[in-house]
Amino acid sequence: MGNYVKRFSAFDRVVHWVLAIAFFVLVTSGLGLFAHTFFSYFDFFGGPEQGILAHKIAGIVFFITSILLFFAHAKDTCSFDSDDSRWFKGFGGYLSKDEPEIPQGKFNAGQKLFALFSIAATVILGITGYIIWDPTSMGRGLTQLSLMLHGLFFIFFIMGAVVHIYLATIGNPGTVDGMLYGQVKKIWAKKHASKWYKEVTDKK
Amino acid sequence: MTNHWIDIRNSDVILIMGSNAAENHPISFKYVLEAKEKGAKLLSVDPRFTRTSSKADLYAPLRSGTDIAFLGGMIKYIIDNNLYHSDYMQLHTNATFLVDPGFKMPGDLDGLFSGYNADKRSYDKATWAFQRDANGMPKTDPTMQDPNCVLQLLNKHFSRYTVEVVSDITGTPQDKLAEVYKIYGSTGVAGKAATIMYAMGWTQHTVGTQNIRTMAIIQLLLGNIGVAGGGVNALRGESNVQGSTDHCLLFHILPGYLPTPNADLIDLATYIEKSTPKTTDPDSANWWSNRSKYITSLLRAHFDTSLTAADDFGYSLLPKLDPGQNASWLMLFDKMFKGDIKGFFAWGQNPACSGSNANKVRKALTKLDWMVAVNLFDNETASFWKGPDMNPAEIDTEVFFLPIAASFEKEGSITNSGRWAQWRYQAVAPLGNSKHDSVVMNELYYRVAQLYKQEGGAFPDPITKLSWNYGFTGIDGKIDHLDIHAVAKEINGYFLEDKEIKGTLYKKGDLVPSFAFLQDDGSTSSGNWLYCNSYTQNGNMMARRSQKDPSGVGLYPEWSWCWPVNRRILYNRASVNADGVPWDKERPVIWWDGAKWKGDVPDGGWKPLSQAGTKKSFIMLPDGVASIFAAGMKEGPFPEHYEPLECPIEKNPLSGTKNNPVIKLFFDDGGLEEDAFYSCDQRYPYVATTYRVTEHWQTGVMTRNTPWLNEMQPNMFVELSPELAKDKGIKNGEMCVVSSGRGKVDAVAIVTKRFRPFKVQGTTIHQVGLPWCYGWSTPNSGDSANLLTPTIGDGNTMIPETKAFQVNIEKRG
Amino acid sequence: MKRKAFMIDTSLCIACRSCQVACKQWNKLPAEATVNSGSYENPPQLTAYLHNKIEFIETEENGEFKWLFLNKRCLHCSEAGCMKVCPSVGALYRTEDGLVAFNKDKCIGCNYCVNGCPFDVPRYDAQNKIAKCHGCFDRVENGLQPACVKACPTGTLTFGDRDQLIAKAKSGGKQIYGETALSGLGAMYLLDNKPQDYALADNPTIPTSIFLWKDVIKPLGILGFWGAIGVAMLHYVTVGPKQLEENGEEKGGGNHG
Repeated sequence: MGNYVKRFSAFDRVVHWVLAIAFFVLVTSGLGLFAHTFFSYFDFFGGPEQGILAHKIAGIVFFITSILLFFAHAKDTCSFDSDDSRWFKGFGGYLSKDEPEIPQGKFNAGQKLFALFSIAATVILGITGYIIWDPTSMGRGLTQLSLMLHGLFFIFFIMGAVVHIYLATIGNPGTVDGMLYGQVKKIWAKKHASKWYKEVTDKK
Repeated sequence: MTNHWIDIRNSDVILIMGSNAAENHPISFKYVLEAKEKGAKLLSVDPRFTRTSSKADLYAPLRSGTDIAFLGGMIKYIIDNNLYHSDYMQLHTNATFLVDPGFKMPGDLDGLFSGYNADKRSYDKATWAFQRDANGMPKTDPTMQDPNCVLQLLNKHFSRYTVEVVSDITGTPQDKLAEVYKIYGSTGVAGKAATIMYAMGWTQHTVGTQNIRTMAIIQLLLGNIGVAGGGVNALRGESNVQGSTDHCLLFHILPGYLPTPNADLIDLATYIEKSTPKTTDPDSANWWSNRSKYITSLLRAHFDTSLTAADDFGYSLLPKLDPGQNASWLMLFDKMFKGDIKGFFAWGQNPACSGSNANKVRKALTKLDWMVAVNLFDNETASFWKGPDMNPAEIDTEVFFLPIAASFEKEGSITNSGRWAQWRYQAVAPLGNSKHDSVVMNELYYRVAQLYKQEGGAFPDPITKLSWNYGFTGIDGKIDHLDIHAVAKEINGYFLEDKEIKGTLYKKGDLVPSFAFLQDDGSTSSGNWLYCNSYTQNGNMMARRSQKDPSGVGLYPEWSWCWPVNRRILYNRASVNADGVPWDKERPVIWWDGAKWKGDVPDGGWKPLSQAGTKKSFIMLPDGVASIFAAGMKEGPFPEHYEPLECPIEKNPLSGTKNNPVIKLFFDDGGLEEDAFYSCDQRYPYVATTYRVTEHWQTGVMTRNTPWLNEMQPNMFVELSPELAKDKGIKNGEMCVVSSGRGKVDAVAIVTKRFRPFKVQGTTIHQVGLPWCYGWSTPNSGDSANLLTPTIGDGNTMIPETKAFQVNIEKRG
Repeated sequence: MKRKAFMIDTSLCIACRSCQVACKQWNKLPAEATVNSGSYENPPQLTAYLHNKIEFIETEENGEFKWLFLNKRCLHCSEAGCMKVCPSVGALYRTEDGLVAFNKDKCIGCNYCVNGCPFDVPRYDAQNKIAKCHGCFDRVENGLQPACVKACPTGTLTFGDRDQLIAKAKSGGKQIYGETALSGLGAMYLLDNKPQDYALADNPTIPTSIFLWKDVIKPLGILGFWGAIGVAMLHYVTVGPKQLEENGEEKGGGNHG
């Protein structure tokens, strides 16, 4: 209590961080397969065969935790209202120091979009990943397409991850506390997720 | 071959018929395609569209067993359109000769020639003779117009082979026939040459030899014998079968194609008298008149030289046939089947798969007391008692297996289809306990001779009096290391005493320079007069490897050695006119320079025909000219179409004589059930033929044991047309059973448009084809097509008719 | 070093398959168990142990039956799909003569090259390592002809200086398949029929997905990744983070509790 309000449960946090670790394992090992340039990244894993194995295992972990995470937050991420469209129009207030905050729920419109993108990308990367798990098992046309889509969505995801990490840490001080300790400062909540804060404090 | 492999690239037209050269002689296609690059036309005539047909300018289908009809139509076309080379025919053939007016032909005698004896199934050839003058010289009509001259009789005989009749027999569309005839017939002019490449597709018929004869006639009409790019060219089925026939591993001939004596020829003089052809023509070289020299020299090579003229040089020790005895392959296994043969060496062969009517052969093997199988690998013959339908408990045959070395594991010569004897070296040592054939023979000889010497016997001399000088003989009388060069030298021959010939003194022990030096007084030896010149004082001619070709037509005179006397193109004195000027200026084979012949070794060095002291150009025949009319054939001096023994039509469209009237019937109201044949029988309605595939060889003993080859053609198949497949409800890749009156075999169906149905006599005739390279001893391989083939052979040679017989095909349940 | 290449003249091919066997013999490749399922063609596909094979194609033209033969193998493309897609440095590499060779030690068994090749050539062996025709570069480097070329009896397969082979084919009036495709194939065909009859693309290219992956997504992706980082850093030092006021007041407007 005091200056903090609970935001994420232990379950939420563990799943998120397992997911994040899996993501980085996937990125590092996947880059080795993505292009020649990054072949040396396999050294982290002790070699290419090990790297591929790590990628496959991390992929399964990511797939499962991503789905778990999505459903854990689904009710807060899947509905959009007029505040969200104002948020999008104002680019979330990120283009100027002086932009007034638009009231948002537990997750702002951008975060909701990222959540939806993440689950979509998870599914696509998961399916294409399954197809290219054994690249000779599913027919050349399908495998070629899957290789391309897997790479495309990896790019989208890593770019999204860069933005997500920036905005969840230094871009919005006080945010990361939620995922590290499970609670955020009240002033953070009032600023960034006012409608959620009101809901949560009203309940008391 | 009259010509040789490389010569094929000189041809303007190449007919491949009775052969699938691209499939079975792939290296030859290098030369075929070289000819094509220079503008030659390739014609493929085959019941089935083959790998050869894929490269042909023209493919014409024909029903198996109808080649004489097809070619007969070509003869008619050539004569009707005046495409024959008149000058050539007048100079070099018997086309101008007048025939006995009593000679009658199938057109008059409903399919027979004059002189037929139905009981004996043979001909009295008295009327098959030329009219001769008081001096015994044949009467001729140089204008070739006399109705009794050979050309006009030929014309009359083949006038029955119209395009309509031929198409109705062969199933070949008329337009295709016309095209083939036109292209091939265009080579009757000087300067154009056509060649024929043929193989078992022609020989393995009841009319096999007449198939070849028909083509020989065509080549003579067109002037294609003796010229570059021409000839009658048999593609032999094994790398050294030419060698084996030259050394006469057949019952009816001795090395060098000398006739095997029968018991009536009681001494050497009688043999010589009866086997030497005679002529009264002073201009005929009649080269076989040298018979005495060759048989005598052969005896001197075979037997101890201590035998003298008084001993007939050992003639009495030569095995003799009973008069009229036929000991050919089919007869051998017939006798074996009846229990009359006690022991059998299956030396480098697999008759359980290669023999026609293989079930009969396999049963025959069970009647033997003993068998020695000599081979590289175990096979269906060596392990015959393990085969399907065999009950070892009932078989008393004692079987020995001698593992033998492969050709590249030994040194020696191989004679190819072009008569080139090429010496080869041992590349690797024989594996394990396998030995060279010569080592095994040497060992056998020694032990048998020893047994005779110690125990005596009914007649030891033919063995104990053999000369066996192939190496250093040890104190025990055995040669431990057989020197193959010593064998080669003996084949060439030695002077056995000092001899002066034409002013030169040859010393005892010198190698004879050529067969022209062989004597009939016992002073020379030669294991094969044809090979005399192959290993001389100048060395092993067969080992030469010079790539010089001064002739420019691919003769390569110093690459190895060919018989006779390194003459690369036989009958080459027919390649020039009477003045010795080549018909073909671009590709001359020989030419007269005023004093002597240049180019290839001339087929007799005599002056050109227009000069005195000459000899006619076909020196091996008594009349000195090539035989368009050939009385030596059993069925007739001209070929006539007869249907295969098992055939799909009731009547021979050409005459009332359905089948070859002189073939020996094994089953004809009596005889073994195994030999039964079925024609126009609803149970076996389809024509079948057998053939090879590139990937396998012979019965597959070597190739089924070579994994890289077996992977390409792993198991038995049958090829059939989509139309037949539809009729029988057979899908591509489905397992079928092909059956004949003699047996059945499982085969995977290859349904392909490469087989099309034939329209014959207004009905649709289907044909199928099977390879014969599979055997039960290889797992998942299948078994041999010869389980289906009939016991019947060619009228002259007894070669089995495995290329046309009747079968049924059904899906296997 | 001048580029060497194969020229395969199908008009001379008699499908004897010496090429199939010679390759196996030289490279000591084992035979495989096969079954005739209605064709002479066996084994039915290129495999890790079959680096070149003859395809038997029955077709018809103007009512005449034609039997086409195509020697199928790695075409040693100048722009090689397999090399494009291979993640492992040195697993697939180009020899000095221009052949695409492989190093099994560097192969990581990812199987991507199987999908990158426009002609469906690379295969994986029992140890999950890449296997395909390598142009007998070991023989070529020692002045010998590739094994298949040496064995071919009719001259269908020839090998040598690429420009000379092209000039010779053109002087013979023949149409070359692969002279410029994929920046020039290292094994070109002289075809009897149209490419479609041999199931060859008229103008073979790198598969579209592969092209997009390697030539579009990869460069743009790298750009995008660093771009995102750059934008984030730029944003931080310009617009800056959304700071929280220490005493609970927010910056700018906004609701209270």
